[in-house]
Amino acid sequence: MRLEKCYFCSSTVYPGHGTMFVRNDSKTFRFCRSKCSKNYKMKRNPRKLKWTKAFRKAAGKEMAIDSTFEFEKRRNVPVRYNRDLMKTTLLAMKRVTEIKARRERAFYNQRMATKKDIEHSQNLVEIEKNIHVIATPATRSKLESERLSIISKSMDVDH
Amino acid sequence: MIQMKTRLHVIDNSGAIVVECIKVLRNAKWASIGDEIVVAVKVAKPLSNALSATNTNKAKKGDVHRALIVRTKKEIPRADGRYIRFDDNACILLNNQKQPLGSRILGIVARELKEKKWVKAISLAPKVI
Repeated sequence: MRLEKCYFCSSTVYPGHGTMFVRNDSKTFRFCRSKCSKNYKMKRNPRKLKWTKAFRKAAGKEMAIDSTFEFEKRRNVPVRYNRDLMKTTLLAMKRVTEIKARRERAFYNQRMATKKDIEHSQNLVEIEKNIHVIATPATRSKLESERLSIISKSMDVDH
Repeated sequence: MIQMKTRLHVIDNSGAIVVECIKVLRNAKWASIGDEIVVAVKVAKPLSNALSATNTNKAKKGDVHRALIVRTKKEIPRADGRYIRFDDNACILLNNQKQPLGSRILGIVARELKEKKWVKAISLAPKVI
């Protein structure tokens, strides 16, 4: 039994799940659930839908180029069962997932590095714009006088 | 889901192109892949000349034949729990001995035919899915 990848959202299609569509040129499309199947029928482009892997990779939301992806590939050469090989493979799988998770974490952190500063500046702008909502009349007049004093000071400097 | 009046593509070289189902040969309202039906030929290849017509075009417009369904648009469940569907409804024509009328099948057929013992049809098909 193979674990296939959904043509639309790239999630794993487990045995007994999903549907397979066979085009007349004998190309097969596997879908993990009716959601993907229906979206395909509606001729939607998976690269334009935010919830698909194709979009996330194309838009730089997820790690797209990495050596760990090389391990998860369709291999059409059958391998004869070998206990030692199986043992080492299982160990390798564990190790690869570990490395992959670490790299994904690093990728996420890198992507989110500038987010804090951007959010902070956005919040400041919002507060400045809508100060009347949160400030009491007293503070409002205080802020106003402060602002005026700053302006007058700067004008003095200019002169 | 092939029933009375369903139109199907014919994917063998019998000469018919489009046929219409006029009878489902099982005790149900509709037929699926691997089922036999009776069809009327609606569109057939034009007879190019009298000599070759006898060899290639075995089906003419208006003929009534038995046919075997090889692909359906309606998804069918597989034993492993998956569902499979095709692009169109397609069939091949059969003679009275339940053998394919044409000598070739052009296009993919479903694996279900093997389970229903249509060995000849499977062996003629270029690809079985």
